Amino acid sequence: MTARPAPPLSRRLSRVLVYLAAILVALYILAPIYLIAVMAFSPRAVVYGYPKPLLPTQISLETISFFINSYGILDSVKNSVLVAVFTLVISLAIGAPAGYALARYIFPGGDIYRILILSTRAFPVVILSIPLITTYISWGLDDSALGVALLHTAMALPTTILVTSSIFVGVSKDLEEAAMTMGCTRAGAFRRVALPLALPGLAASAIFTFMLSWNEVFAAAILTLQNQTLPARLIVQLNQSPIPFRFAGGFFILVPAIVFMLFARRYLFSLWGVKLR
Amino acid sequence: MKRVWAVLALVTILALVAACAAPTPQVIEKVVEKTVVVEKPVEKVVQATVVVEKPVEKVVQVTAAPANYGKVTILSTQANPVEEQEKMRGVVLKAFPGKPEFIGMEEPALIDRVLAEAKAGKGTADVLISLHGTYPTLLAANALLDLSDMVPNLKDRNIPEAFMKLGKLGTDKQYYIPVMQATYIMAANKKALQYLPAGANIDALTWEQLRDWGKNITEATKEKKLGFPASDRGLMHRFLQGYIYPSYTGGMVTGFKTKEAEAMWTFIKDLWQYVNPQATTYGFMQEQLLSEEVWVAFDHTARLVEAFKQKPNDFVAFPAPKGPKGLGFMPVIVGVAIPKTAPNPEGAKQMVRYLLQDEVQINILREIAFFPVTGVSYPGYVTVGIRMEGEAVSKQSASPDALPALLPVGLGAKGGEINKIYRDAFTRIVLKNEDIVKVLTEEGANLQKLLDETGAPCWPPDPASTAACQLK
Repeated sequence: MTARPAPPLSRRLSRVLVYLAAILVALYILAPIYLIAVMAFSPRAVVYGYPKPLLPTQISLETISFFINSYGILDSVKNSVLVAVFTLVISLAIGAPAGYALARYIFPGGDIYRILILSTRAFPVVILSIPLITTYISWGLDDSALGVALLHTAMALPTTILVTSSIFVGVSKDLEEAAMTMGCTRAGAFRRVALPLALPGLAASAIFTFMLSWNEVFAAAILTLQNQTLPARLIVQLNQSPIPFRFAGGFFILVPAIVFMLFARRYLFSLWGVKLR
Repeated sequence: MKRVWAVLALVTILALVAACAAPTPQVIEKVVEKTVVVEKPVEKVVQATVVVEKPVEKVVQVTAAPANYGKVTILSTQANPVEEQEKMRGVVLKAFPGKPEFIGMEEPALIDRVLAEAKAGKGTADVLISLHGTYPTLLAANALLDLSDMVPNLKDRNIPEAFMKLGKLGTDKQYYIPVMQATYIMAANKKALQYLPAGANIDALTWEQLRDWGKNITEATKEKKLGFPASDRGLMHRFLQGYIYPSYTGGMVTGFKTKEAEAMWTFIKDLWQYVNPQATTYGFMQEQLLSEEVWVAFDHTARLVEAFKQKPNDFVAFPAPKGPKGLGFMPVIVGVAIPKTAPNPEGAKQMVRYLLQDEVQINILREIAFFPVTGVSYPGYVTVGIRMEGEAVSKQSASPDALPALLPVGLGAKGGEINKIYRDAFTRIVLKNEDIVKVLTEEGANLQKLLDETGAPCWPPDPASTAACQLK
């Protein structure tokens, strides 16, 4: 009599439904990626064909290799990575202390400050474009990775500050105080106790920043000429390119993001409190 | 599970690396650069012979580097697709005596950039390549260099006077110089030819015959095989402004709400029965022609060329049909200008002269399918596909009843609004089936308001006016 009673039918059914929903969601994301990949590696004649095949019938690297080897693509990948890394570092350096302050201290105007942070997102970059370029030219920041990174930082900071503040709220204040009773200074307690505990969350917020910068088109397109980022270059080239190149370009910009996500996902999950085994 | 992901990631990376392993054009470029360096000792001799008409073409071609004009940065709204950019860099600009840097941009970004550089008083852009419509905005901000001093030296290029006049933007100074042109024509799959209406000549169709052609195809195949680029990305408004309106009313603007226009819209509704209903998603008709989703299509020459290049034996090019008032068609002029803040104005002017050389004009046609503005004779130099397009273009403009319709002139920054009026009229009448007279009255009022606000006088093919153009 060791056999456990089978779970009631309703629970089994709901579990099936949950899995079904999960599969649907996964397909919703994966199916387009799959189709883009198939088309990116098909010869042109197949891509132009109608209806298009669901399975790769012929593999051809022609379009994608032409695309990758075309002028400036690899340089712009480099620029994109540079800009994203700069953005990540600067916005964490500014955003994390601000988030910590919001989480730990109660100060007059704290609530208004929170809202003010968000209000920076209310200014559309589009109307600022000409003054921005003019200012950048006179400051010598025009057409540089650092310049784009600064603007991306401005766009990312509100989320970084609010996310990091909620992460530091989750790190118990008692632990820091305990550390201080045992001889740690304020900074030491932060560095040895609060920071390691907050690290997964900070990493997740950094990933969001990275993705925001990686995908941003408009600011990058108006602030750079020679040193364009990948999306800025693609938006110009692909809008008017024949379909095979749009598939190749789409695939090319997807892959780094997917690879990055694969490595970063355990940190991303920790942002939502999901523990990975 | 982890291992599976790792393997997947590895495979993607490997695939990318494999793709990168193919020989790169950059490498080839570098090699060629080196050969130019080797030829340098000959430079001085060639410099003397460039102006003189001695028949030493081959030598000139190899060592076309008599002087070094330095870095010339080109911002262009044209030739932006991946392959065309490569061809601009690798072929068209290659023989320029200096270091050309070709940067593709969308029109709004280009305008913002040039305006900002003018404001900052310090620029990076030397040369602009864009459509006529870009320049009035830039001139209004006083951002363009006066190129009038270049005009006398360009006389031997034989650029049509009407085109040069457009480049003056309504002033007495030359602000841009026409550098290439395009237009809109028709293309058909050869499979469709058997359904041509009896007695119809494909090179001199009427719009009614086009409709009957579509009808015949639909009756025979049960499919709607006519196509127009009616999506947001498509250039449907040019079909209305430059083709069907002039063909039926003799003008683009003045006849907007006349009885003839009413008859024309009734006809378009009739025609639309045989147009593929997916047309509202079409942007570049070469795609649907190649996939055989449509058999007969109207579009810009550069947006059809891929079909003629890839399958020259499957397609024919022919002039747009004509209406009761003649054959309306729209030449598209691409101009080259120099911003006032250009860091290298001498190099920029040299670039303008360079682009207008015969060989370069032919290269432009061969590589990116824009037609020469100079008097150069090209048929011997281009592939079958482009020659077919070129013949259709010549037949179209040489037609005895041709009515060339210019892109809207004098609307300044409001150049885009006129397109919206025509497209709105099309959407309301043809797609939403609204009453023709009502729509024409309302949209006609919008059009008149636009003309009054900008004070734009009528432009061809409408009869010239001194004050703001008035609708009949």
